[in-house]
Amino acid sequence: MRPLTDEETKIMFEKLSKYIGENIKLLVDRPDGTYCFRLHQDRVFYMSEKILKLATNFSRDKLISVGTCFGKFSKTKKFRLHITALDFLAPYAKFKVWVRPGAEQSFLYGNHVLKSGLGRITENTMQYQGVVVYSMADVPLGFGVAAKSTQECRRVDPMSIVVFHQADVGEFIRNEDTLT
Amino acid sequence: MEDSHIQHCMFGPLGLTMGSQNTAPPFDPGCSGTTVATIYYGHCVDWVVSKFGRVLPVLQLRCRKGSKARTVKYDPSKYSHNIRRLDRTSPDKTTSVTQLTWGVEGGDDDISKKRRGEFPPYEPIKPKKTRTDAVDSHNAFSRFKRAQNSDRNTEVHPLTNGSDLLTNHRAAQRKGRWFSDSDVDSDEEIRRLVAAQQSSHGALQQEAEDDNLEVVGLDYLVKSGPKGYEEDYDSAGTDELFESKRNPAAPLQEKPSSPTAKQFSAKRSDKKRQTKRKTPSGDVSSSKPSSSLQKDNPAAVHPVIKHAADSHSDEHDEEEGNSSDSSSDFDFPALFSPSASHLRITLADLQKLAETRVPSILGSGLKLSSPPEGPAPKEAITPDEILASILGDDSSSDDEEQKKKKRKTEGETSTSLQVSEGNADKCRRRKRENKHGETKTSEVLRNPQTDSSSGSEEEKMSAAEDQPSSTSCSEEDEQEAGAAPCPAPAPCSESSSCEEEEEEQAPPRLVLAAEEEEELQKKANMRRLAALQQRQKEAEEHKRVIQGALANLDAPPPTSGKHIVFGSDDEEEKQEVESKKPLFQDSQSDDKAATDAAAAANQYATQQEVRLKPSAPQLFAASEDEEGDEEEDGSRFDIRPEFEGRAGQKLMALQSRFGTDERFRMDSRFLEDDEEEEEEEKTEAQKSLEDDEALEEEKKKNLTILQSVLGSSQQTSSKTAGKAKKFRDVSALHYDPSKEEHAAFETKTDETMKESKATRKKKREEAHKLPEVSKDIYFEVSGDLKAVFGPMNNGSAEGEEEKNWDQVVEEEGGGGEQQLLSSLLSADPSTMSEESTGFRFSFFGDESEAASGETTEYKAEKIQAPKVSWHQDPRFHDSSSEEEEEEEDQEEEEEKEGQSSTGAKITEEETPSKPDFFFFSSDDHRLKDGPRLFCRMSQLEEQREQWEERTSTLRQEYRKKHKDARRKLKTSQKS
Repeated sequence: MRPLTDEETKIMFEKLSKYIGENIKLLVDRPDGTYCFRLHQDRVFYMSEKILKLATNFSRDKLISVGTCFGKFSKTKKFRLHITALDFLAPYAKFKVWVRPGAEQSFLYGNHVLKSGLGRITENTMQYQGVVVYSMADVPLGFGVAAKSTQECRRVDPMSIVVFHQADVGEFIRNEDTLT
Repeated sequence: MEDSHIQHCMFGPLGLTMGSQNTAPPFDPGCSGTTVATIYYGHCVDWVVSKFGRVLPVLQLRCRKGSKARTVKYDPSKYSHNIRRLDRTSPDKTTSVTQLTWGVEGGDDDISKKRRGEFPPYEPIKPKKTRTDAVDSHNAFSRFKRAQNSDRNTEVHPLTNGSDLLTNHRAAQRKGRWFSDSDVDSDEEIRRLVAAQQSSHGALQQEAEDDNLEVVGLDYLVKSGPKGYEEDYDSAGTDELFESKRNPAAPLQEKPSSPTAKQFSAKRSDKKRQTKRKTPSGDVSSSKPSSSLQKDNPAAVHPVIKHAADSHSDEHDEEEGNSSDSSSDFDFPALFSPSASHLRITLADLQKLAETRVPSILGSGLKLSSPPEGPAPKEAITPDEILASILGDDSSSDDEEQKKKKRKTEGETSTSLQVSEGNADKCRRRKRENKHGETKTSEVLRNPQTDSSSGSEEEKMSAAEDQPSSTSCSEEDEQEAGAAPCPAPAPCSESSSCEEEEEEQAPPRLVLAAEEEEELQKKANMRRLAALQQRQKEAEEHKRVIQGALANLDAPPPTSGKHIVFGSDDEEEKQEVESKKPLFQDSQSDDKAATDAAAAANQYATQQEVRLKPSAPQLFAASEDEEGDEEEDGSRFDIRPEFEGRAGQKLMALQSRFGTDERFRMDSRFLEDDEEEEEEEKTEAQKSLEDDEALEEEKKKNLTILQSVLGSSQQTSSKTAGKAKKFRDVSALHYDPSKEEHAAFETKTDETMKESKATRKKKREEAHKLPEVSKDIYFEVSGDLKAVFGPMNNGSAEGEEEKNWDQVVEEEGGGGEQQLLSSLLSADPSTMSEESTGFRFSFFGDESEAASGETTEYKAEKIQAPKVSWHQDPRFHDSSSEEEEEEEDQEEEEEKEGQSSTGAKITEEETPSKPDFFFFSSDDHRLKDGPRLFCRMSQLEEQREQWEERTSTLRQEYRKKHKDARRKLKTSQKS
C-alpha cells in the first residue's frame, strides 16, 4: 500500500472528474478529517487517516481491502472505476440519468441504457460525459457514459443506446468475488 | 354402449397422446370440439384428432361420428385399438383419464384464455408440476372425481367441465379461477378418497401434498411442532419451552380445529367452557357434595333461568354436531395429545399467568374475558354460544386460575398443569397424570378429590348415557371409556383425570343450577383473588430471597473463610431451591427441582472455585486462605506508589487488565522508565506529525494535480463549477431582512426596475412610433388635407375611433362622411389599428413639421381652439353627438399627448388652430360655448391617468403572460 504517484493521481482524477468534476476537491479536502487515496494491488482505496494507520499493521499480502475501493489501474495504466465508488460519486455527480422502473433491471444486469428506458437526464449533458444513473426514486444504480448528448437523446429512436454501462449495483452480486 | 363410448372418448385422446407421443401439454382434448380439432390438426392430421375433439362431450360422439364420416373416415377397429391401448396402460388409466379431463378442462380455454390473460389460477399449477404426465393425470383425476362427486362440490362443478358445453365453459372457467382455492381442498378430499385406488400415483400424491403444503403448512406446523417438542421435552419440561409455547398452547387447541371445521372447535370450546364452569365448582367444593349434587340433579338444573339457554344451546349444538364431533373427537385427541405435553406448565408460567391476569381480572371484574380465551368468542357460532362463551369465560378463566392457585397452594411442588388447560383434552391429562403420577406429593394431596371425582365421573357417565339429548357426550364418554382404561389402571387416578372426565361430561352438568354456579363463581373468584395475593406475596418473598442470595454471592463477607463461603453457597442453593420451586414450578417433581438446584449449586461451586483458585490454589487449606484474604483485605486500600504518575497509570491499566490476581500483581518492578516512554511518545508524536505532514503534503499535491486536471478541462468544468457554487449559495441562503446585504434579494428593486423599464419602453415606443407613423400618413394626409380639410378632421376622428362608430354613423345616415371615413380607414388601417394616438400624431405631425415655427404663437390657444373647432364643427354641421364624443376623445388624447410630450402638444394644437382660422374667427362665441358644454377637464385628466395605469398594467400582464408562455415552451422543449 502506497500513496499514488502524481501520474496515477492525475489519471484517477481525470477519470473522477468526468463524473463529479470539481467536486473531487470535496473528496480530497474533507472537513471531517483527512482522507487519502492509497494504491494497493493496483487498486485505489479511499480511506480516512485513522483507517490508514490501522491498516499499516497488516502485511501487504494479507491486506485485501481498506476503506473504499474506488477502482483499479489496468495493466495499461488506465483507471477503471468500480461500483464501490458509487457512494462517493452519487452525491457529487454533475450529470445524472434517471432510468425508468422498467429498465432498472436491465441496467442492473449490466446492459446499456436505451432511450426507451431513459426517464430523465440532466440538461446540457455532453456526449461521452460521465453520468451517474439513478432510478426514478433517486436511488443511485451505477454510472456510465452518455452515448448521446441531451439534445440528441430527444431525437433518437427508443431502441438506441443513450448511456453506456460502466458499473452498476448489480456487480455487488455478480462480481462479488473480485470486488474489494 | 354409452359407458363404453364415454370411456372410449375419455381414453381416446389419451391413447392418441400416448400413441403419438405428443409432447405438447396444451393439446388437452378440449371440451369444445372445434378448438380441440384445430389443435389436433396442428399436431397430426390424423382422423383421430377430430374424433377426440368431438367425442369428448361424451354422448355426442356417435352423432359426430356420423357427421364426420363424410369428412374423415373413422375406422371402428382403430377406435377399438385406442381403447385397447388404454387398457394396456391400465395402471395409467387414471393418468390417461386425467389427461383427457385435463385436456378438456385446460385445453382450449386455458390456452385461449392464457393468451387473453384470463386464466391465472390454472396456469401456475401447470408450470409447477412440470407438465409431467403424473401431474396432468393428477389434476385430471381430481377433476374427474369432482365430476363424479359433482353433488358434493357444487362450486367445483363448473371446473369439472369434462362434459361442459363450449358456451358455458368459458364462464365456468372464469368462475373456476375464483374457485381455485376451493379446488385445492376439493382436490385434497378427492385425493384422499382416491388414495386407495391410486397406488401407482405416489408421485402425484406427493405433488398434491406439496401443493397443499403451502396451504396446510400452518396446520402441519401446528400439529407437528408440539409433537416434536413433546418428544424432546417430555423429560425436560423446561421453563423456556413453556414460556415459548405456553401462549400458543391456548390457541393451539383451537387452531387445529379451525382448518378442519370451525364448528367443531366452537363446540369444543363450548364444551370446554362448560367443563370449566363445572370444574371450578368441583374444585371449589373439591368434595363430593357439589359434584354429587350436580350429577344427581342434572334434570333439575335444566330449568335454571340464565344458563339454561346456554346449556341448551350447547346441547343443541352438540346434537347438531354430534356426527362431526364424533369424527372430530378422534382427530382432536390426536392433535392435542402432542400438545398436551406442552401444556405441562411450570409453576413459574402459572405465576406469570396469574400475575398478568390478575390485574386485568381485577380491573374488569367478573366480566373479564382473559386474553387466552379471546379466540373463543370468535368460534362461537350462534349468539347463544357467544353468550355462553362470554359467561363461561369469566368462570372458566377464573376457575382456571383458581385451579392453578389451588394446586400450587395445595402442592407446592404442583407438577400438574392440568389446571390452566381445563379445555385440554383427556388424553393430555392422562398423559400428564401418567407423568405426574410420579410426583407423589401432588397425588397425595389430590387423592381426596380424585376419589370423589372418580365416583362422580362414573355417575356422570351414567347420567350422560341416560340423556339421549347429549349424544355427543355419551359418545365422548364412550371414547374416553375406551381410552380411559390405560390411565385408569394407574394407582392414583389423579384428580386431573377426574376433572377431565368431568369436563367431558360437562354437558350433563351444565344442567346444574346456574345460581349455584354463580355463587360458586363468586366464591371461586374470591378465593382466586386471595390466592393471587398470596402468590404475589410469595413471589415477592422469593425475589427478596434471591436478591439477598445474589447480593451475598456478589459480596462475600470479607471475614468469612472459604468454608464459610461454601456454607453460604449451600444456603443460597437451598434458598434457590426453595425459590425455584415456586418460580419454576416445573411440572416435574421435586426431584427435578432438586436436580436443578444441585446443578445450580454445582455451578455456583465451580464459579466459586474459579474465583478462589487464583488466590488460593489449594481449596482446603482454609487457614492459609483466610489469612491471605485478610492480608488482601488489609492491603486492599493501601496507596501504591507504583501506580502514581504517568507510568503508574499505564501500570494501573495493565493491572486492571489482569484483575486482582495476585500472581499478576504489578509491582514497582514493572514500572517502566519514564524517559523511555517519553521518548516513545515523542517518536510517536513525531511519527504522527510526520504522517500528518505527509498527508498534508499529499493533499496539497493532490489538489495541485486536481487543479491541473481541472485546468486542462476547465472549459467544461468551469461552467459546472460555477453552477455548483451557485447551488451551494442557494442552498445555504436564507433571507435575513435585518442584514443590509440581503436587500439585494428583495424584489422591490426588481419591480421598480420593471416599472422603469416599462416606462422607458413606453417612451421609446412612442418616440419610435411617432416618426414611423408620420411617414406613412404623411403622404396620405397631405392629399387629404389638400382635398378636404374640414371633413378630414371628422374623418380622421372617426377613423381613430373604432369601426363601431362608423356603423353608428351609418345608421344615422351620414352617407358622404362614411365614404370619406372608409377611404381614410382604408388609407391608413395599420396606423389606426395600432393606436389612435399614433394616427393623430402622424396627422398632426405632418403639419407640425410644416409649421413648426408657429408653435409658440399658438400655445396660448392650444387647448381651447382645438376643442372648439372640433366640437363646433359637428354641431353646426348637424353631425351626431357621437362625433362630438369622438372629438372629446380626440381632445383627451391630445391632452395626453400634450402633457406627456410638450412638443407633440404644440404640434397638435397648431394643427387645429389652423382650421379655426380657416373656418371660424378667433372670437367666435361658438368656440367658447363648445367647451362649456363639454367641460370635463378634470374628469378627462382622471380618465387619462386611469387609462395610463390601465395601459401599464395591461402591458405588464401581457409581458408576464408572454414570459410564462415562453418558459412553458422552453420547459416543454427540454422535457
